[in-house]
This record gives sequence, structure tokens and C-alpha cells, in this order.
Amino acid sequence: MGYTITEKILGRTTQSGKPVRAGSEIEVKPDYVLGYDFPGYLDLIFQQMKNEFGIKKVIEPERFAIFIDHMVPANTPEEEDLHIVTRNWCAENKVRLHEREGIGHQVAAEAGYAVPGGFVVHFDGHVSQLGAFGTLAIGIHTQLLEAFVRERITFTVPETTRVNLTGILPPGVMARDVFHHLVRVLGPRSCRFQVLELGGFALKGLSLEGLQTITGLAMFTGALTAICNPDQRAIKYAQERCHLNMNPVSSDSDATYAAIHNVDLSNLAPLVVVPPNPAGTAELTEYTGLDVQSGYLGSCASGRLEDLRAAANVLRGRRVAPGFQLHIVPTSQAIMASAAKEGLLTTLIEAGAFVTSSSCDYCYGRIATMTKGQRAVSTGTLNVKGRMGSPESEIFLCNAAAVAASAVEGKIADPRKYLKAINT
Amino acid sequence: MSLPSLHGRVAYIFCEADFDVDQIVGVENIRLTNPDELADCAMQRFDPHFAEQVKDGDIIVGAENFGYGHPHFAPMIGLRHLGIRAIVAESFATGYWREEIAEGFPQIACPGIISCVERWDVVEVDWNTKELNNLTRGTSLPITPYTNSELGMLQAGGLVPYLQKKI
Repeated sequence: MGYTITEKILGRTTQSGKPVRAGSEIEVKPDYVLGYDFPGYLDLIFQQMKNEFGIKKVIEPERFAIFIDHMVPANTPEEEDLHIVTRNWCAENKVRLHEREGIGHQVAAEAGYAVPGGFVVHFDGHVSQLGAFGTLAIGIHTQLLEAFVRERITFTVPETTRVNLTGILPPGVMARDVFHHLVRVLGPRSCRFQVLELGGFALKGLSLEGLQTITGLAMFTGALTAICNPDQRAIKYAQERCHLNMNPVSSDSDATYAAIHNVDLSNLAPLVVVPPNPAGTAELTEYTGLDVQSGYLGSCASGRLEDLRAAANVLRGRRVAPGFQLHIVPTSQAIMASAAKEGLLTTLIEAGAFVTSSSCDYCYGRIATMTKGQRAVSTGTLNVKGRMGSPESEIFLCNAAAVAASAVEGKIADPRKYLKAINT
Repeated sequence: MSLPSLHGRVAYIFCEADFDVDQIVGVENIRLTNPDELADCAMQRFDPHFAEQVKDGDIIVGAENFGYGHPHFAPMIGLRHLGIRAIVAESFATGYWREEIAEGFPQIACPGIISCVERWDVVEVDWNTKELNNLTRGTSLPITPYTNSELGMLQAGGLVPYLQKKI
């Protein structure tokens, strides 16, 4: 029997370097260990290293990369103090620090940590989006500490659920809708403790950015992470950026899967995820006309060029409804620069959008905070209670074009009537 | 070395699948860290008299995919402070499971549990036979075994002491 891409990648990182089977508990050496500073996360790991383990510096600092993407810019002295701790630690440890370059999971791809065939750990599960490039990237939560104090970490090889996507997305339907549709058809516990492996002809019709969106949200199927067998686009993207020389790997045709699903995308329509549950997928048309006061286009899940283009297509020559707050936050500074060169930012700003440099802070309500009774449409990661402010505010997740259409009307709106062809 | 014995009453049953544990303390309280404050707000919306009734050693029972969503540490800090010593559920959400096992807090996957217990039944977990025994009803159910590292974290009392022993 053959091996899955996950079994091959994890096997390579063992001492023997041989492929492993799902269910085995093994010692693996991550190619990269990533994290961002946030109170109780990296600062705690730094303290634990020193105080509980007597370790002053990480070994092989080139395997580590740290991001300052939350609390950017700082708005209290304590937040800036935390950033200073992180900057100092990185300097002392000779670890690369990416500050103010954008949301770390996107910057990780841009900076070359998304190596096809590579194994990456982080505490945050949205790092799964490196799976778009054939990288096995897993959020291991507080257990990331092990990667800071040992060369290897103990890890149980997960089973894999394979999803074959077929069909071409209709206009106005985006990668986000594909993911939310997967949660709808597979269920929020379909891939618990497993890897979600995406395949099928439809992948060719999705951009790498779209695959980042889908893989980045994998946790809401219960999955540890998601991964695609890297195609030529992913390999080319990685080769232009990566510092590690590694052979890309793919699943064997006779690999063993926990389940295989075929999902056709041909008849998909724009979706919303109804609060307060990330599995509350519904047809957007069921909610059109619902008053909405705020819109957020950004996050590690969305906010890339194709999202900005989709919003610009809707907003070109139109205006955001009076009183509506539309926040557009490109996922990285590099994306923002590209959007500026394309003229997208001008279109968005002229339409009345509030466009800002990249930061994680809109996604969890640190800024642009909603109060009781307000409602947002959002391309953020989550719609749980209180995520973007008051527990009595609401978040409807949807695609970037739907956020833009809703901004024009001040109500949840179907983007298809504003678009000629979003996917061309 | 085995795990500490677990013998207590079923203090509450969450029948809702994909249960968001933040509801236990309320989203408005998830940033709290003080165990006393978290114990005060825990379970208020489910049973305002919970704190008076619960005893040290009691357990909580959950349904499928317990801990789905974006769970924080606060709810379980509150429940532990009230005396809850384990969560037994049909199954657990991946992230929640990793976090709470790393806290050294027993999470026990026990398919079938929801239909085999009533609130205030007395149960015990036999780690040797890997069974949960409902002493009130005289029934037993198998529990899902831990991996070695999960067992190590629970035995050591959490991730840090576990890694200290390992290094």
C-alpha cells in the first residue's frame, strides 16, 4: 500500500527518514517552528524555556521564525512592551523576526517557509494554509513549547480524509464558499484529528491564493490541517522564495485514506456562515436584505489580491452606503503594494472603503470593535460570539465580493448582480 | 505509573454536539484568569445552583465534538476550581483536546456515554481495563486509549512537568 503525502513528510522528519503509517507515535523534527507574539503565547514560551528548562537559546535558530502581526500598531504601553520582549528574544537568539510585514501565515509563504514537502509547526491552527503549497503545517497549540526545548517533538501520525473537488466555480462564488460548502457537506467533525487532503480537477481552477483560503480554515472541519499535493504553480512559487532544498512529495495513488469524498462545485452559490457557529453554513440568498452596519475584508483566510480584485469589481464606480463602515485590510504589505500598483486601492478608497496596512487586529475586534446590536459581514476567520466586539454583536462570514456588495447596499447582498465575471 | 483514580458524580451533561465551551463562563468572561472569578461565573446560564451542588471529584459529560469553535482556557479553569476532575464526551474537538490534555486535565473519549448516564449518576474510570463504569446503573463502556505522550502529560500533571521529565 502506498503512503499519503502526510505520511511521507512526517516520515522524512524522523531519525530513520522512512515513511510512516497513520497511528504511529513518532519523534519528528520540524523544518520550521513559527509563532507570533500575543500575551500568554510566545512570551510564556520564552519564560518557560528559561525558568522551567534553563534553556537560554534555541538550537538551530534558522529553523525558527517569529511574526509581529497582532497588536500592530500597539495602542497601550503594555502591548509595545510585549513587542520589545519579542524583538529582544529574536535578536538574542538570532531568530528571524517578521514585523509589520503582514499577517504571519501569509508572510510565512512569502518569506519561503512554505516548502513543498516541508513540515512546519506553529501554535495557531490557521498555519494550515501553507498546505496550499504541499507543506504540512500544523497548529499544535501550547504543545509548541516542545519544539522550543527539544530538537524533536512527539507526534502521532494522523489519518487523512481525501476530498476530490470537481467542477468550475460559477461567477460570484469564491474559494471561501468552497470551504464553507465543505463544512456543510462533510460536517464540522468530519476530519477530527485528521489531515484534510484536497485533490481533484477543480484545484486547477482555483488560484494558490484560493487554496490558501481553503486550507487555512481547515480546523472548522475538525482537521489538524489541510494539504494539497503540490502542483507546478506551488513548486514554482516556493522555489522562488524557499531557503531549503527539498524534494516535493505527493500522495501515492494507492494511499490509505480514512474517507474519500467527491464534491462538485459546479452549482455552488455564494454562502454565508450564520453566527455564532463556524459551521452555520447557509445560502447567502436566505439572508439578503438583512441590515448590516460593518464590513471586514481581510484576515489570514481572505484579503489577498483575488479578494481585493473581487471587491474592486463590485465597488468600481459605486459608493459604500452612508454610515456603513467598510474596513479593507490586505493580508500582507506585499499584497497591499501589488494592489496599489494595480490601482485596486484607489478604486476601493474612492468607493468609500477604509483601507489600512496589514494587521491581525480587525479579525478579533481589537480595532473596529462592534458594539451591542451591530452586525458585520466579514471575510475573517470566525463568527463566534464576541469575536469582533460585543458578545451581542453578530458576524456573518462570506466571500469578499459579498462583503463589497453588502457595503454598497448596507444590507447583506448577493454579489452576482454586480459582477460580470469574477473568476475570469 | 497509572493515572489518579477517577470516581465521582455526573455533575452536568451537555447534550449539544459541537458544544462551544466558552458558553460555560460566557463570552464576556473568557479573558478572566482568576479561578475564583471564573468559578463564580461558571455554569450560571445552565444551572444557577451548580456551584452549591458540585463536589470535588465530579465530572462533566459532553456529546460529539465537545469543544468545537474557538475555545479558551477560562471555562475549564473555572470548572476545575469548582472540583470537576474530568470531562467525558462522545468525542472531542481537536484543538480543545490538545490544549486541555496539555493542561493535565483528563479528557476522556467514551463513545456511547450520552445515552448511558443521567445527571448525578456515580461513575468511575478504570484506567487498567480502559472502561468507564456507571456504578448507579451497573453498566460499562470502553474508553479510547491515550497516546503515550497524552498519557505522559496527564500523569505528569501537564505539558511542562512532562517535558521536564523527558529532557
